[in-house]
Amino acid sequence: MMKETRRIALIGLAALEAIGIRSIVRECSDFMVEAFGNFADFMPLADSYEAYVADSGTFVANLDFFMPRRQKTIVTGISVMSLKNSSGGPLIIGHDADEADIEVTVKKLLGSLQTGETVPGELSFREREVLRLIAAGRINKEIADELCISVNTVISHRKNISSKLGIKSASGLSLYAVMNGII
Amino acid sequence: MAHYNRDSKLSEAVMANPQIIPVINRLGISLGVGDGSIGSTCVQAHVDPDFFLSVINTFLDEDYFPANPRGTFTLSKTIDYLRKTSEFYLRVQLPNIDRHFSSLLSRSGEDNNLALLRGFFDDMRQQFSDCMRYDLEVLFPALVSGNVPEDFRLSLSGHAEMEAKLHDLLYFFVVHLRGDYDSNLCMAVVSAVFSLEKDYSQNNRIRNRILLPIMEEMIGK
Repeated sequence: MMKETRRIALIGLAALEAIGIRSIVRECSDFMVEAFGNFADFMPLADSYEAYVADSGTFVANLDFFMPRRQKTIVTGISVMSLKNSSGGPLIIGHDADEADIEVTVKKLLGSLQTGETVPGELSFREREVLRLIAAGRINKEIADELCISVNTVISHRKNISSKLGIKSASGLSLYAVMNGII
Repeated sequence: MAHYNRDSKLSEAVMANPQIIPVINRLGISLGVGDGSIGSTCVQAHVDPDFFLSVINTFLDEDYFPANPRGTFTLSKTIDYLRKTSEFYLRVQLPNIDRHFSSLLSRSGEDNNLALLRGFFDDMRQQFSDCMRYDLEVLFPALVSGNVPEDFRLSLSGHAEMEAKLHDLLYFFVVHLRGDYDSNLCMAVVSAVFSLEKDYSQNNRIRNRILLPIMEEMIGK
């Protein structure tokens, strides 16, 4: 089976900023980086990405999208230093950040993606993908085909999702997905 | 845990475990049980005390298994109990949840996610009713006449799914309920769902541990 390509989206960043972050990601991971000038261009493809780097204006204008994904998001261009310490929030690259600051923050995001680290009880990116497809009524085989993973992996994801959420039935998982904006 | 026996007082068993009230009703004993032992009360009510005790102890302790299940749980007694149980769900417990839920919705406005939970309940109720009707109209009559329907395993998996959905409905109320709502009426709904969930999971234990082996034995013959 072909290895899946993992992607990071850069949204609304200045050209130089995007080049710098792309370079850091390429140096220390095999993630593919794709840049979008604005959120409207990115949104139709949003499900293809595992993490996001957005400028503060894009982030604030699209909180509905970014808040549930805040732990997979870096926000750039923020000048309020206190935000850097907010627990459970997105990673921040301040407007005065130097190259070293940017590198540390990007590596922090990559590290959490590569270890699959999530907040206890919170679904990983892949689990959210599987949950979205369950809620869309797909059976295990269809989910496996769509995500290019094995049926056994889908079953394993389903078990983990049920365990994390405390929900046992497929229709219960669908209701959870609706309540939490996953579909 | 300690199990009840013929010498245990039925009134004490009910006082300590009021959730068994619908169970003893289905077994043929109504409230106003008097002060006698389970053995004597069952004899007066023409109820088999061993069957009564096996059901009660199975209900209260999920690890309990009767010493002589085939002798205690005959096909006719088991089906009679399960039939009364299914009818009780259809005629009493599901309408009870429905009534409380309707009151809750009508007195809670719209600033909450109750409508989503109501939709979940409505879907579950329809499937639940279909499962019960299959048992009452297809499975039980077939077993009484000595046949096992080919699709009986689908019925069993349907019951397992309903058990999961009842659990989820309760869980959504406990964990994911949001907004403003009438808390007294909400408690009435949750209590009714809890009562059905507990009763139903016990009922499924009897179905899986007692009725399924009987059916498999019938297929083997």
